Amino acid sequence: MLATELAPGFLTRTCSFSTARLDSMRNRIRDGAHRIYRSAESPDVLPECEAEGLGWPRRVARAFRRVCEAETPVVLPGERILFTRTTPGIPPLYRDGEWKTLTGGSTLHELGPISNICADWGFVLGQGLLERRRVAMETASRPGHDERALEFLACAIETIDAVLALVDRYAETARKMGLTGLAAILEKVPGRPPETFHEALQALRILHAMVWLEGHYHVGLGRFDQYMWPYLEGDLESGRITLAGAEELLAEFFISLNKDSDLYPGVQQGDNGQTIMLGGVRHDGSPAVNELTAMAIRVALYTNMIDPKINLRISADTDLSLLGLAGELTRNGLGFPQYSNDEVVIPALVKHGYDLEDARDYTVAACWEFIIPGKGMEVVNTGAVSLPLAADKAIRQGLSADVGFEAILGRAADNIRERVFELADKYRRLLLPPAPYYSVLMEGCLENGRDLSRGLKYNNFGLHAAASANAADALAAVKRFVFDERSVTADELLEALDGNFENHESLRRRLTEDAPKVGNDEEADQLMVRLFEFVAEACEAIEDNGRGGKMRPGTGSAMYYIWLARGEPGDAAPPIGATAEGRKRGEFFSANLAPSPNAAIRGPIGVLQAFSRIDYGRICNGGPITMELSDLSFRDEDSIAKCALLVRTFAQLGCQQLQLNALNAETLLDAKRHPELHRNLIVRVWGWSGYFCELAPEYQDHVVARQLYGL
Amino acid sequence: MTSGVIHEIREFTTHDGPGVRTTVFLKGCPLRCAWCHNPEGLSPEPQTMRTARGERTVGRRYTAEQVAAILNRQAAILRSNGGGVTFSGGEPLLQAPFVEDIIGRLSNVHVVLDTSGYATESRFRRVAGMSQLVYFDLKLVDREAHIRYTGADNAPILANLRALSSMDVPFVIRVPLVPGVTDTGANLRAIAGIAGSLAGLVRVDLLPYHRAAGGKYAGLGMEFLPSWNEAQPANADVEPFLAAAVPVSVASGDIRLAREPERI
Repeated sequence: MLATELAPGFLTRTCSFSTARLDSMRNRIRDGAHRIYRSAESPDVLPECEAEGLGWPRRVARAFRRVCEAETPVVLPGERILFTRTTPGIPPLYRDGEWKTLTGGSTLHELGPISNICADWGFVLGQGLLERRRVAMETASRPGHDERALEFLACAIETIDAVLALVDRYAETARKMGLTGLAAILEKVPGRPPETFHEALQALRILHAMVWLEGHYHVGLGRFDQYMWPYLEGDLESGRITLAGAEELLAEFFISLNKDSDLYPGVQQGDNGQTIMLGGVRHDGSPAVNELTAMAIRVALYTNMIDPKINLRISADTDLSLLGLAGELTRNGLGFPQYSNDEVVIPALVKHGYDLEDARDYTVAACWEFIIPGKGMEVVNTGAVSLPLAADKAIRQGLSADVGFEAILGRAADNIRERVFELADKYRRLLLPPAPYYSVLMEGCLENGRDLSRGLKYNNFGLHAAASANAADALAAVKRFVFDERSVTADELLEALDGNFENHESLRRRLTEDAPKVGNDEEADQLMVRLFEFVAEACEAIEDNGRGGKMRPGTGSAMYYIWLARGEPGDAAPPIGATAEGRKRGEFFSANLAPSPNAAIRGPIGVLQAFSRIDYGRICNGGPITMELSDLSFRDEDSIAKCALLVRTFAQLGCQQLQLNALNAETLLDAKRHPELHRNLIVRVWGWSGYFCELAPEYQDHVVARQLYGL
Repeated sequence: MTSGVIHEIREFTTHDGPGVRTTVFLKGCPLRCAWCHNPEGLSPEPQTMRTARGERTVGRRYTAEQVAAILNRQAAILRSNGGGVTFSGGEPLLQAPFVEDIIGRLSNVHVVLDTSGYATESRFRRVAGMSQLVYFDLKLVDREAHIRYTGADNAPILANLRALSSMDVPFVIRVPLVPGVTDTGANLRAIAGIAGSLAGLVRVDLLPYHRAAGGKYAGLGMEFLPSWNEAQPANADVEPFLAAAVPVSVASGDIRLAREPERI
């Protein structure tokens, strides 16, 4: 009955090209064979910057140019989309002392350079770098620009010229090798606009890789099936390319994104933000799914690598056959696609001041944060509010002071507000370094003579309200046992918490097994909703984040489910002891939106119902419901169809974002013991997929210990 | 109002019937199948189970009202996804009045009864009659072998199967294929012979058995002693069924992960 509704095979699941060439390319890249072309060092630009007395923007442009010059053109065997990075590092622009003077008193976001945003790739492909250069020249020639603007434009032009010079050398190399077709493409793009799918992929490969060379990271690829489709559509219509040929090119492009994972800075390897967004709606609100949407999923099924990380925008009306195809990716264990619900996200963005047309164009940053390609200079990860800490402090202080439960909640709200304001104050001093090349790829920077670091149309900040289920469960346990039932005294609970439940095992079991839990119990769910209301109220009290934007609260945890539980050197948030939901000191929290790790949960339906209660109109920085399904849930066509129904239910219930992972706990344990046998095993970590064996042990253990549903 | 002991209520059980389902596992079973994958379902009382992460309680007493409230909260979701609720175990008919009470309180939910068929005929008829589909386990036709491997006579099971065939409730016969025990040619031919004569039969599902439940048994202070070769692949021979014109399917992969995943 379901099988016919889903029409299996309606969307083809297997690629039609002959894979021998790419099989070998993929294996060589996984083996890192191409890394022998890397030079040992990056150019040292400090002496010339100092000799010429260059300011910051000039130094960024100079370093970028020198890195481009230091790149050696490499053509790997059989390649049809070229660029292999050969300079491993980004040169320092200042000596330590000067850097401290320059940045003293300011807040640098993470490592410093602009990260975690998305260029308007369609816009840049459509113009070509030569046109972008002309725009910069024209702006510079108009009167009324200050020195700063003129310097920025000169820097931007320097970076464009550096890219074009590097591409010229690639073209020359290709021609010398007799690769006339590739040479012709490289003589054309990305200087001039591409006209074919192959040209567009080659142009994008270079434009995107260059962003990393300027020192940026978490470089998103945006709505790939939207801006690339016109090129593919034109090729298919004119018969220039076959479907199989297009799949093969796309697969090669996807593989190329995996060349330099080891060079990308992130908390863990694999955390590199190379996301693509598929599906959704067009600017006018009509459905945006096209042939490339399905092709990208199909090709990712073939490549089976951690990049690009695929996101799919859906609604309650999304075709079940597309969800079924997406379910195949999940079955492969890749941990993507991650689903975002347009019907929830778009109105929330509009409510937060985004124009409707822009809101309809949303993509995600590195993990899940909603941003607008080319129009957002948003800092979506200013840090975390530890909800368990806010709740725990309120519980301990409140019980000691003998106040009622509502007063404990009030204290939790105070603690949350204090932390939100702390983050806001810190980021009011945000210093974003100049980014002349990245600016070329955004709307308005060259047109207005303003570097990206000075802001774009949208300049909001985001924060993660982390580990909400643990916090709500702790409050729910206190309410039930101490206040409603009066079966546990305040002193007894405080003593148990202080002693990490030593000699209080029976109480810990009651807290774990008998207390209400988010995902199982409406009372606990409602406390979680209250916590998010407190976060929203605090954020809404910040009228201007210092850059003309707001503070957007989110539901993700990022790596904080480990950092906040255990403490992390360099992170401001203090670790937390034992907590009232029956969690001992040092035990992890759940990642993103998921029930507490130690809660006995009935399964995905209760989880979706619980998290559908959040007011996502106010909580819109993103952060997915994170569910691990047993890989046995996916063992046949019928099971995949049911997973598609589960995803549709997520949308129907009005949830915001979802990531599903198919896990087999025994495989993971075996991978810990014998990593050499599981080199290509991929798992979803917090908002990205990585190779299990490349994760630090604490992140591996968290994945293994997650709740597994749907056996 | 009745109450009963439930081992677990588990949502999104993809192999317990059509559509998106929630399965209620009732605790307690009159059979002692040597290959049982859910030893925590055997005793009718709540138990403490040791796992690598510490002790936890398995089984909890609920009133029918509580269970129905949990299920009714998600009834609309189950319905709109072509699914419903499955009662499994243990053996749900061991707590038949409790199950009837729950079903009576459900608001328009498709019910699957997943049973060993080992119950009095009146209990069996009452609960099966309140279900829209029955999953009926048929393990061994030979009476002696059935007693040897499950500790019980199969006469009531075969009688209930015939009773089911006379009711207006569609049913699926499920055969766990235990190597050298239930998957013998003789047993499969005997099952096919019975199945071929039954009205109302939708199909026969053959469920290849892969692994034993060693870890769980130890956690409950029980012993698991398979007398067959666990490494031997099950004989999922569909020929006897095709010969008897009985629709048959073979489940792929493990039926249920028998071992509690080791925790860190």
